[in-house]
Amino acid sequence: MKFVPYVFRSLFRKKTRSILTIASIVLPFFVICVLGTLLMALDADTSGGKGMYRLVVRHKVSLGNAIPEAYRERIAQLPGVKDVTILNWFGGQYRDNRPENMFARFGCEPESLLRIFDEVTIVEGKAADWTSDRSGALVGERLMKRYGWKIGDKFVLKGDIFPINLELTVRAVFRGSDETGVYFDRKAVEEGLPLVKGQVGTFWIKAESADAAQRLPRAVDAMFENSSAPTKTETEKEFQNGFVSMLGNVKAVVTGISTAIALVILLISANTMAMAARERVTEIAVLRTLGFGKPLILTLILAESLLLSATGAFVGLGLFRIAFPVLKEGLLNSPMAGFAAGMQLFPEVLMTGVGITLLVGLVAGIVPAIRSAQRSIPDGLRQVG
Amino acid sequence: MAEPLIRIENVVKQYTRDTQVLTVLDGLSLEVDKGEFVALMGPSGSGKTTLLNLIAGIDRPTSGRILVGADEVSSMSEGALAKWRSENVGFIFQLYNLVPVLTAFENVELPLLLTRLSKAERKKQAETALAVVALSDRLDHYPRQLSGGQEQRVAIARAIATDPALLVADEPTGDLDSKSGEEILVLLERLHSEFGKTIVMVTHDPKAAARAHRLVHLDKGVLKEDVRAKGEKGEIGVAAAAAIAAGK
Ligand SMILES: Nc1ncnc2c1ncn2[C@@H]1O[C@H](COP(=O)(O)OP(=O)(O)O)[C@@H](O)[C@H]1O
Ligand SMILES: [Mg+2]
Repeated sequence: MKFVPYVFRSLFRKKTRSILTIASIVLPFFVICVLGTLLMALDADTSGGKGMYRLVVRHKVSLGNAIPEAYRERIAQLPGVKDVTILNWFGGQYRDNRPENMFARFGCEPESLLRIFDEVTIVEGKAADWTSDRSGALVGERLMKRYGWKIGDKFVLKGDIFPINLELTVRAVFRGSDETGVYFDRKAVEEGLPLVKGQVGTFWIKAESADAAQRLPRAVDAMFENSSAPTKTETEKEFQNGFVSMLGNVKAVVTGISTAIALVILLISANTMAMAARERVTEIAVLRTLGFGKPLILTLILAESLLLSATGAFVGLGLFRIAFPVLKEGLLNSPMAGFAAGMQLFPEVLMTGVGITLLVGLVAGIVPAIRSAQRSIPDGLRQVG
Repeated sequence: MAEPLIRIENVVKQYTRDTQVLTVLDGLSLEVDKGEFVALMGPSGSGKTTLLNLIAGIDRPTSGRILVGADEVSSMSEGALAKWRSENVGFIFQLYNLVPVLTAFENVELPLLLTRLSKAERKKQAETALAVVALSDRLDHYPRQLSGGQEQRVAIARAIATDPALLVADEPTGDLDSKSGEEILVLLERLHSEFGKTIVMVTHDPKAAARAHRLVHLDKGVLKEDVRAKGEKGEIGVAAAAAIAAGK
């Protein structure tokens, strides 16, 4: 304890360098936290456990291929299926194609949709107003805020894949994991475009049990294997993650690049700490002349570099806590909202970041510490400066 | 008869680099009595620092024995030697070697941290040591805020903080102007006469050596001359020291 002042003063003997070193610890710490949080969010369950029972059926080839509505009957008859609904990607544009005007737009089957996504709550308007209005829209709370809409407001979606313009009226507002979506009756599309009648983008199944949820994907796909439109059935989570990876295999690329960056920066800070110890060869020899034993000197140097990295981790933690809500908010308003909803301050991510940082401090400290303790005292004294 | 404090018996110190063996001390024997003030002179590279390091227990001989008091320094384990140094030797360096991030007081307190003394006792002892070197008004100054002479006085305070019987100094005035050097020599003389310290001081400077009461001249690892001042309290004197330094 009485050595604490020495450790602290040594730490800040060169203020600029110590600050730079701490910064170079904060940076990889930050990267690790952001990255870890994103990767954890991919696996996070934002449905309160309910998504576990949801399965998505789509065309085996791609999401762009439709499957016949007639499948619905046959799927519904499979044992373990509790409910089925339909979601059709509409695409189109609102105002223009700028990214800030991008949000999910789905033609759906209103009543069964609300049954299957029963964790979603209606916070404004009435569900019945929406289900009974063919051109009514169910809008996410965030999107309402983004555009300043109110119940009863009208807006137009200009079709692209489906060449039809939809004029929709806001009837109800929902709160759920992705609050930037717009949902309307798919019949609104079918009426204007008879061509797409009977065509479905995805069926969403609610399984009766976890057991059934495990069994059903194979059962469904087996049923349509030899038809003209074979299917691919997966859990909601798999489906969403597939979506994210469709956005350019983000996961692997981001992980790879960030790990490399973090490693390089960690090496730099390790080197800085090693340099600091090397500069003190004479001082360490002097301390040993005074009677400081090797174990004590090792402890002092390690304490110093641990303190340095702990400070870095601490600052990083604070910065990440400040940055986190901003980051999450930004992503929630982006097309990645679906998986940003799963973001939280995961304790395991933060602990990993702190752990890695302290480990680097330890490793960076231990090598020069052992080296300077190993050196003979006369040698250390002979080195001037 | 004064009893010997330091007994160096047939000490050899060699350095081996690749296949070449460099013999720095070649079968050297020397005794230093308790309370003696010895100046160690000799040309550069003659092994003065090496001998001082051996006496102070920060280095070990290739062969031979070194005893300080009852302790055989040459055969102690490293840990035991560290403890021994903290209790028995004060080291004064040519370049002061204060810890730059610590104040004068904290530098002097450093060796006391290794003792069992309480904080208050450490404070008292460090302040006493700084009072001896007349720096009571510089406790909170950092080394960079002190002159060279003052830095060396802090270093001396650090060396005497634990009240060791033996002080070793390696060219303590080598980096100082003559006035500051003179102050340091007066101080060492006082530590010797007033506090009874045994002092072994390496020096190039005949004026510094003249302060000592015994002059040992080392050349190429062997003792060339060993002169004691006549009389109990006498000094070597500048002329004699200069003559010895010149190798006559
Ligand atoms: N670690 C070492 N390895 C090899 N040679 C050394 C080492 N330390 C000292 N020497 C050599 O030992 C000799 C005596 O050195 P030193 O005791 O420092 O001399 P002095 O202090 O009298 O100038 C010199 O020639 C020096 O080069
Ligand atoms: Mg020397």
